[in-house]
Amino acid sequence: MFCRTQTTRAAIARGSALEMEIRRGKFRRSVFLDTLQDSDIQKKIDHEIRMRDGACKLLAACSQRDQALEAAKSLLTCNTRIMAYMSELQRMKEAQVMQRVARRSDGTRSSDAGPMDDRLPCKGKVAISDLRIPLMWKDTEYFKNKGELHRCAVFCLLQVGGEIHDTDMVMVDRTLTDICFDNTIVFSEASPGFELRVELYSCCSEEDYSAGSAPRKLASKLSSSLGRSAGKKLRVAMDPGACSPTSNAGAATLLLPGPAVAGPKYHLLAHTSLSLSHVQDSFRTHDLSISGNEECSYWVPLYGSVCCRLAAQPHCMTQQMMSGCLKVKQLGGDPPSWTNVYGVLKGTNLFCYHRQEDMEANVEPAFTIAINKETRIRASEKDPHSKAQSICISNQYGGEEVTHTLSADSREETHRWMEAFWQQFCDMSQWKQCCDDLMKIELPSPRKPALVTSKQGSLYHEIVIDTSDDISTVTDILTRRMQELELRSQLGTSPPWMSLFEESPGGPRTPRLARHSPRSPHRLPHSPLSSLRCPWPGLLSSDASLTSDSDSPCSTSPCSRHRGWAEPLSLSSPRFRPRTLSLDAKLSTLRGRGYGGVLQCSCQPPSSSSLAPIPAQCVPQATLSCSSSTSSNSSSEGSHSPSSLDGTPFSRPSSARRSLRNLRAKLDPRNWLQSQV
Amino acid sequence: MSFIPGQPVTAVVQRIEIRKLRQGEHLILGFSIGGGIDQDPGQNPFSEDKSDKGIYVTRVTPEGPAEVAGLMMGDKVMQVNGWDMTMVTHDQARKRLTKKNEDVVRLLVASLLCNASPFVQTEFAI
Repeated sequence: MFCRTQTTRAAIARGSALEMEIRRGKFRRSVFLDTLQDSDIQKKIDHEIRMRDGACKLLAACSQRDQALEAAKSLLTCNTRIMAYMSELQRMKEAQVMQRVARRSDGTRSSDAGPMDDRLPCKGKVAISDLRIPLMWKDTEYFKNKGELHRCAVFCLLQVGGEIHDTDMVMVDRTLTDICFDNTIVFSEASPGFELRVELYSCCSEEDYSAGSAPRKLASKLSSSLGRSAGKKLRVAMDPGACSPTSNAGAATLLLPGPAVAGPKYHLLAHTSLSLSHVQDSFRTHDLSISGNEECSYWVPLYGSVCCRLAAQPHCMTQQMMSGCLKVKQLGGDPPSWTNVYGVLKGTNLFCYHRQEDMEANVEPAFTIAINKETRIRASEKDPHSKAQSICISNQYGGEEVTHTLSADSREETHRWMEAFWQQFCDMSQWKQCCDDLMKIELPSPRKPALVTSKQGSLYHEIVIDTSDDISTVTDILTRRMQELELRSQLGTSPPWMSLFEESPGGPRTPRLARHSPRSPHRLPHSPLSSLRCPWPGLLSSDASLTSDSDSPCSTSPCSRHRGWAEPLSLSSPRFRPRTLSLDAKLSTLRGRGYGGVLQCSCQPPSSSSLAPIPAQCVPQATLSCSSSTSSNSSSEGSHSPSSLDGTPFSRPSSARRSLRNLRAKLDPRNWLQSQV
Repeated sequence: MSFIPGQPVTAVVQRIEIRKLRQGEHLILGFSIGGGIDQDPGQNPFSEDKSDKGIYVTRVTPEGPAEVAGLMMGDKVMQVNGWDMTMVTHDQARKRLTKKNEDVVRLLVASLLCNASPFVQTEFAI
């Protein structure tokens, strides 16, 4: 398609030389034919060359990675556009040459073919939106790759004929499950046989672009010390021949204005072609052909498909194809009477208004005749009374066939209307499903500045923490309740979860924990608190403190033993601790026994004297009575049970730790949260 | 509301209008809710069906606006001011009840009445 004649190669060597050549070409071409179209393309090419120069300069000048990636993206787009325009120019040149040759041989213009053959279907708007490409990360990416978050910059290039658009750039790392492009791209002049080529380009976003400079030995040493995949990619980057040749490099050799552009290079990762058969008014999934493999630096694990909404609006559906005055024969009655109407052919309907002004005023038409795939139109025999032919339009409404007879003022008018109807049929046959109903195309809204949301650390940072907990009122309740329940504990009742602690060994940890007792409230925020443990750790600490502060009947050893149970669980891992099977089993059995009621009153210090498991029925009663004693302005003690245990007798942790604890309590799925409203 | 297993129960759906009470800078309703699609339904002591992830009233503050309006502990909240509460997360539910620009919340709640006697209480809707 793009044949490299001597002149064209010379034309592309330099920016200035190209312009000279174009001027020369223009001059040459102007001898034969008008070059309006050519000059249009020339202007576009010049514009793109200017953009490309700008992008190169920006790439050389910018220091930040994001800027460099954006500049490289514009560079790629400009290059692709230049190539497209060049090829179109070439095609036009060839067509002109062919026509000239034909004309020279024939001596006359080639005659027009019959009206049907020469008919071209109307063009239309094609819009692609909501592009989404699902990713398929391997579990090794998540768990074994301890290195830096490996990120790639990706964007899509969409091409229909000569129109090329690019989407915004998206940074992809392993926290993303899909690549989503929010842009809506509209191609305004597309023929029904269009081919929309979707290409996904990616570029690895790591520091070293000039990786080829490091020697191989160093590379192999580095690869063993870096994270697995990072090292692999580094090694591969040293060996540029391994990956498939980049389209950017290909373009560069062809259109290179100067030295190789240093900076990030985008590589083609996947591509697909969409056409009229893929057009639908809803979302569809299409397959992607993936180029490149895992070893390439720009690799992003794609699932292999792309979802998008491809809609098309042929012009015959949105624009008025024909309008004029018509006469409609009234059905029935002899002699036949004719009504004058103003007819407008648009979409799949012929709207008949009483007057032309009605149409402009957006008044409802007098009646509408459907012109769709089922309609049959024919020109009837000449009416003996009038000279003009009339047009019969037949439709099937339900089971009945209804025929409207129209007549135009003159023969030329009739001919024009028939032409319009034939054109409509041609369009409908070419655009197929797009002519059934008008598909909605949302015009892209004016560009908003891209919001950069940098993810700091984990999801916890994004969660809003409400500070509506009033600690002081809760601590009052706590002290009151403690006194209440201490009396109760004398009677020998103890919550059912006590049975857990019978079995778990806390012995070896005891001596260490005794030392840590005043600091235990501080440790507790780190544990992912189970519903069981929520009331506990603070309680245990409270108990322990009570032990140390005031000589309560609670003896040290059972308390520390209880703590001994809690502490191993809390100290074992700061974040999500994989649950042990035995604990899970116990939790589920306790739940089955209606343990849930305990949460209503979260502060129940363990009875020190007896550790015997009690029947579950005792517990709800105890809890109900507890709840009734709450004051009206107490905060949500149920949900933020750990925080509720920070009372005045104990050392107060900082508000940050408190809120963190609240947050963990909230997020732990094993809690059954309650909120005060 | 606790019910005695084995006794017939009636489910009553009522509309309860609660006027929020201003306490300092907070508008409070005077009850606590539990449940939500992100919560474990098995720990809900009020639900009949332990897979019900709806929002239940777990506590009513005595003399608070909710108690005055007739809300009882154990009621299931179905709607708040027209917003559905049967398929919401716990936090969404809390937010719908605590909107600062609303003084009144109209709840659609379902309560269970335990019938100890064979005379069934009639449904009433406010």
